[in-house]
Amino acid sequence: MDPWGREANPPPGLVSHPRVFAFLVRRLLSAVPALFLLSLVIYALLALKPGDPLDELRFGNPGFTFEDYQRLVKLYGLDKPWYLRYWYWLGRALRGDFGPSRRYGMPAAEFIFRHRLPNTLLLSGLAMVAAFVVAVPAGVICALRPHSLLDYTVATLNFLGISVPVFWLGIMLIWIFSVRLGWLPAGSMGTPGLEAESGWAYLVDRLRHLVLPVFALSAIQMATWTRFMRSSMLEVINQEFIRTARAKGLSERYVVLKHALRNALLPIITLVALAIPGIFSGAVLTETVFNWPGMGRAIYDAILANDFNVSMVALMFISTLILLFNILADVAYALVDPRIRYD
Amino acid sequence: MKKGVLWAGLIGVFLGLTAWGGPALNNLIIGATQEPDQLNPWEGAADTKENILALLFIGLTYFDIHGNLLPGLATEVPTGQNGRLRVIYDAAGNFVRQEVDWTLRDDAFWSDGVPITTDDVVFTFEVQNHPLIPVTFRTFSNKVQEIIVKDKKNFTIIYNSPNPFYANPSGRIGLARFYDIAPKHVWEPIFREAIREAQAQPDKAADIITAKFLGADPATGRDPGKVVGSGPFRFVEWVKNQYIQVARRPDFFLMPPGPAENYVQEVIVRFIIHEPTLLAALFAGELDATDDIALSGYDPKVLSAQGGGMFRVEVFPSGFIEMLNFNHFGHPRYAPEGCQIARDLLLHDVRTRQAIIMAIDREALAEAVFPGAIVSNSFVVRGDIGYNPDLIHWPYDPEKAKALLAELGWADTDGNGVLDRITPDGRKVEFRLPHVTTPAPFRMRTQELLLEYLAEVGIKLEPSTLPAAVLFSTEFINRGFLCSWPGIIEYAAGGGIGEVPADEISGELWADDPATPVPLDNVPRPENAFAGSNVRGHVHEEYDRLHFLALSEFDLGKRAEIIKKMQVLFNWELPFIPLYERVEIVMSKVGLANYITGSAITRTPFWNAWMWGWSERGAVPVY
Repeated sequence: MDPWGREANPPPGLVSHPRVFAFLVRRLLSAVPALFLLSLVIYALLALKPGDPLDELRFGNPGFTFEDYQRLVKLYGLDKPWYLRYWYWLGRALRGDFGPSRRYGMPAAEFIFRHRLPNTLLLSGLAMVAAFVVAVPAGVICALRPHSLLDYTVATLNFLGISVPVFWLGIMLIWIFSVRLGWLPAGSMGTPGLEAESGWAYLVDRLRHLVLPVFALSAIQMATWTRFMRSSMLEVINQEFIRTARAKGLSERYVVLKHALRNALLPIITLVALAIPGIFSGAVLTETVFNWPGMGRAIYDAILANDFNVSMVALMFISTLILLFNILADVAYALVDPRIRYD
Repeated sequence: MKKGVLWAGLIGVFLGLTAWGGPALNNLIIGATQEPDQLNPWEGAADTKENILALLFIGLTYFDIHGNLLPGLATEVPTGQNGRLRVIYDAAGNFVRQEVDWTLRDDAFWSDGVPITTDDVVFTFEVQNHPLIPVTFRTFSNKVQEIIVKDKKNFTIIYNSPNPFYANPSGRIGLARFYDIAPKHVWEPIFREAIREAQAQPDKAADIITAKFLGADPATGRDPGKVVGSGPFRFVEWVKNQYIQVARRPDFFLMPPGPAENYVQEVIVRFIIHEPTLLAALFAGELDATDDIALSGYDPKVLSAQGGGMFRVEVFPSGFIEMLNFNHFGHPRYAPEGCQIARDLLLHDVRTRQAIIMAIDREALAEAVFPGAIVSNSFVVRGDIGYNPDLIHWPYDPEKAKALLAELGWADTDGNGVLDRITPDGRKVEFRLPHVTTPAPFRMRTQELLLEYLAEVGIKLEPSTLPAAVLFSTEFINRGFLCSWPGIIEYAAGGGIGEVPADEISGELWADDPATPVPLDNVPRPENAFAGSNVRGHVHEEYDRLHFLALSEFDLGKRAEIIKKMQVLFNWELPFIPLYERVEIVMSKVGLANYITGSAITRTPFWNAWMWGWSERGAVPVY
């Protein structure tokens, strides 16, 4: 008990937070039926959408007769009601078998987790890091020099970053840096034929292909986070404890970095945490413009082509992540804020 | 200072690195907007797969730029003249059987050095006909009674019904899709194992076949050594979503003029799905050429100007006709069922359709929405042997259109600018014509123009769009009977391609096969579970008779005459309005020899890949 009769703050760590631990277990258990329900709804929506996996064959091949269509419908089991197909899919998914991609002829999970997710993580992860690395100092500097020329310039750039559509920005970047200047490649992940064994040349080539898409993808986040960082910093810098710190004779650098920045970062960290699941789901427009084979395009293409197994793997993966991050966020609140109780 | 110089140097090196290709390395980098799903020769798919397969495989025959059918793996094209084609009739003149003799070339080898033999032919046919294998087409393979093997190089195909398209590489006559023959020594163990597993687990059969057969290493390139083909190039590498790389085969039996070293030794097909990005890569020098579908709908004049003289822009007929399809399910033959909206609009009356075609300035429309396209009056494309040039060219004549509509009882009685009429059951209906298509920009522009043209004659167009996946779903396009699309549906389909009347459009036009007891078997209705390709519901007995007559006519000249008669019927009846023949565009760097499409029959510059080469490397331009 503390001098005011409240329970003393327990030391950090989940095990020593029995209520939080129980809460975590409860939330994880409640996520299981939620995932089942989600899988049912997603499968139903995909199955009830007009069209089936054979439409692409039907309209891509002159001479594909209705007899051919009916033969393949039967062969693929598409003549069965959707709920039976869902039941069959669920039974196999619980054993870790998500079925093959009808389009790519490989396991759907392999297509998503081996061929698409790493690309998305690389692009979106780097974009997020770039946005964070630029936004925090930019926001701090603008807050320290409000209404200066620099502040107005950054504000204008922020305005552009937020309002310019990413596909337009992407095309303009390609036009300037690839077509006009010839400095950077116009898209794709690497130069054809350049093997990983090439060492540095391969690494440099990969980096060159990353510059434009990372910039385009990070532009909005950069702008948004800079705005948040600036206002958060402005709010903190005028508080009394900062004045006290200065009055104590601490250097301005120490005051800003040690006292102001740490407090001002809290809302930004929340924003970053909320953006993390987005890293995994990809960015359809950026991936399309820069020919980057990521999750966004995979999901979009799979849904359009009625590649059910791929759609299910990708959407269930993202759903699971969102559930998981929600739970983690709740737990994190409990760990950092003793006022929150989990009874 | 030193740090600054170092950074500047590093950035300079970083930015200065460029992709290498073209004559410098004697290779060719082609940009494509689609990527094949896999490379198995058993399933049909998008055009890009056809192109890649054309690098890796060659069929028994192939078409050249002039539409001549030439021998590929075969020593010669079977004909009646050379005695390799025999059609046997009984005394009463009834068809008994058809026999076609083929001989494989002695110098035909798989890319791994194994000779191509009749064992491969028989195995390919076995796979094609296995009930568990989801091959795309069986239309023609169903006609094959048996294959008789004489020795390792000679075989005879026996047909149980007439097949005039027996030698056509896109005629799907019984072997794999493009008349490709698959290597038995590579595929057989995979096939047997997949079938054994599928038969052991019938509830998972389709998934097993998909993953273990259609998606096996020879189709996916996971193990490059297992991708074995018969074509001019051997497989090197497939980096998914990025590119496929192939290398010239020195042992390929078709050779370009002069030393093979003078021609491209390596081809890389890069997949860039976003057209503007692909164009940027082309203009930035990262690509040497585009495939035949990447630049669809672009204005060739604009591309030429942007290319600045560095590129050759080839515009060629695609073989596709853009069509305004009418819903004919308002015809009295379907009453009291069928589509009431189409019935109220009298779309089943030929005068309505003739009025609408004369209300549209098709020349201006084609020029505005698809630069280079040619207005069409037929379901057959120009250049095809069956094309009839003597058809009515329906003029742009709004006054005649108005007169025809007035004849049908349409008048603007309330002065709101939209025609109306009283139906026999006493209802007042206005001429509000629904039009649905995909949201492609050129089609949305078409809707805008149609809106203006039809308003001039008192028809109010009600435009809408649906994603292609929905528009072409059987639940939508095959449900015209239920008014899923009650007015006009616009799309394009292949007309001709050297095999009329077995092509896509004429396959959609016939209604009733007299050989079957089922009435209107090609018209999707509740009675046949909405099966069939005649999605418009137009019926014409004489057209059907001619269609089936042509399908069993072996003489090309006689067949062409029948098809010309079919077009005369079509041209008057207008089951759909043929707007224009689409064109496609291929761009290639100046100096790239023999990379040419030429006609609607070849349809792709990939038909003669062994002849591609750079002039500055000594390649001889033949085409």
